[in-house]
Amino acid sequence: MMSLVWKLLRQHISIAQFAGFFFANLFGMFIVLLGLQFYNDVKPLFSQEDGFLKPEYLIVSKRISGVSMLGESCGFSEKEVQDITAQPFCKSVGAFTASQYRVVCSLGMKGVAQMGTEMFFESVPDRFVDTDLSQWKFDPEEGVIPIVLPRTYLAIYNFGFAQSQSLPKISEGIVGMIDMVVVLRGNGQEQRLQGKVIGFSSRLNTILVPESFIKWSNAKFAPEADLTPNRLIVEVKNPTDDAIVKYINQHNLELENDKLDAGKATYFLRVVTVLVMCIGMLISILSFYILMLSIYLLVQKNTEKLRNLLLIGYSPVRVSLPYQLLTVGMNAVVLLLSFIILYIVRGYYMNTLWVMFPQMQDGSLLPAFCLGFCLFAVVSIINIMAVRNRVMKIWNRKE
Amino acid sequence: MDKIELHNTLPCVFEGRDVQSEIWLQDVTFQKGSTYLVEASSGTGKSSLCSYIIGYRKDYLGDILFDGRDIRQHRVSDWTSIRQHSLSLLFQELRLFPELSALENVQIKNGLTNHKSLKEIEEWFQRLGIADKMSAKVGRMSFGQQQRVAMIRALVQPFDFLMVDEPISHLDDVNSAIMCDIMMEEARRQGAGVIVTSIGKHMDMSYDKTFRL
Repeated sequence: MMSLVWKLLRQHISIAQFAGFFFANLFGMFIVLLGLQFYNDVKPLFSQEDGFLKPEYLIVSKRISGVSMLGESCGFSEKEVQDITAQPFCKSVGAFTASQYRVVCSLGMKGVAQMGTEMFFESVPDRFVDTDLSQWKFDPEEGVIPIVLPRTYLAIYNFGFAQSQSLPKISEGIVGMIDMVVVLRGNGQEQRLQGKVIGFSSRLNTILVPESFIKWSNAKFAPEADLTPNRLIVEVKNPTDDAIVKYINQHNLELENDKLDAGKATYFLRVVTVLVMCIGMLISILSFYILMLSIYLLVQKNTEKLRNLLLIGYSPVRVSLPYQLLTVGMNAVVLLLSFIILYIVRGYYMNTLWVMFPQMQDGSLLPAFCLGFCLFAVVSIINIMAVRNRVMKIWNRKE
Repeated sequence: MDKIELHNTLPCVFEGRDVQSEIWLQDVTFQKGSTYLVEASSGTGKSSLCSYIIGYRKDYLGDILFDGRDIRQHRVSDWTSIRQHSLSLLFQELRLFPELSALENVQIKNGLTNHKSLKEIEEWFQRLGIADKMSAKVGRMSFGQQQRVAMIRALVQPFDFLMVDEPISHLDDVNSAIMCDIMMEEARRQGAGVIVTSIGKHMDMSYDKTFRL
């Protein structure tokens, strides 16, 4: 019997209108989902790559000139630090503290030292380090130093050293398993400690250790050293602020990580994504509008039939059902097709991205699925209510 | 549903007019199991009366009660149930679906309650002389033929009251008599009350009561 009702109510369905809605909605929905998915897939390349420093942190040092090498201090005085802190673009300032004693580090596997080098450590206040703080602490009893290395070190080893010496290349994951023996000398003392690389940073050009370790070791191995910081880490409100560049130039300073690019890129990525998603959303809304108009028109044209059905005993729920099923069905097909197209398109761009960034992890499609379902649900609910509303108008003789 | 009562009922448009009627502004009761004829002249509100009772229009003064309950209180679900199970109306304007065949027009109603079998329906088509038109589109049929289809549709549901609004205006006497027989057979089988309206020509049968509208 439902088929008879359908036979009756499908009169005046305009294939062109519904096709218009269908493709417009498909297009809009796909763009919205693709925008979100692409953002999710690409975002880690910009942000997670360097989890140790947030993009709004800048590293500032004094520009080294020929003169300064002849004895002028390249450290920051307390007054200079206060001046930077007082700048409107600045949220907070932290000092890099360097180790003031000799450090020899040797790397090896299974306890056999394979190469050694002199080096140094630096630290910044813990609040500037954006990593799991449970790993980021030093306990003299345990004697394990957590270390963050510049990513370039790994590249130098892998593509320079290891290649020429026929040594195996190592990945970031394996570095944590390497034995690192650190020997600290100074103040007539010597101590062997274990180092553990917990991560790499692209933006931090130093060997970073926890502040607690530097404090402890400087007190022990170089109690009388001058602790004037050579570099400052500055948390700014907006890294793209012009005032920063002005100030830096005026005071003959240098931005060490001029690689704000990542931060900028993330920002632009976000802007572009939001823009793309807005356009997609707009198309979706317009297509939704087409659908609503089509349905209103359809109900309008079939008003007499709907009224007669109601008068011979059909309930409003029952006569609304065919149109509700029609719209929800179309929405569902649009959703499904969007997912399929998204999946295919994502496959293409992910392959390209993998070639460029092999370390990239395969992200999840879940957020896009969720968004798709939410859009589907919202649009369907509005459709269902609109149809019902129209039929009730006929019932109440307002049509 | 056992009785339909009208208390002081009057279409809004008649307000202020001097109305001489045995229905309007009177206390009238239609009992289940009885047959009534409502005779009317044009423009006296005959179709309005049908629209009020089927719940299609509410532009009247006074009250209409089904089993003592004011029908203004009825909700959508109440009306749906009444139209499916208690009250059947043959509309003067028929309200058939011209896109569907004669049989489909009947089936779309019968499907709500599955009150009649296909065989019974076919038999009625036969008796009314439109068996050959069963699969023809209603839009292509004459008004007289359509009236017969509409009558069959009005009968394929359980009802306590059957209202027929000028059912035979376009039928000859022979077909009128057949239609009357079929209608009364079904009404008696169901123990229902029958209210027939007419402007002039009316079904030739015995009525328990006749009203002048």
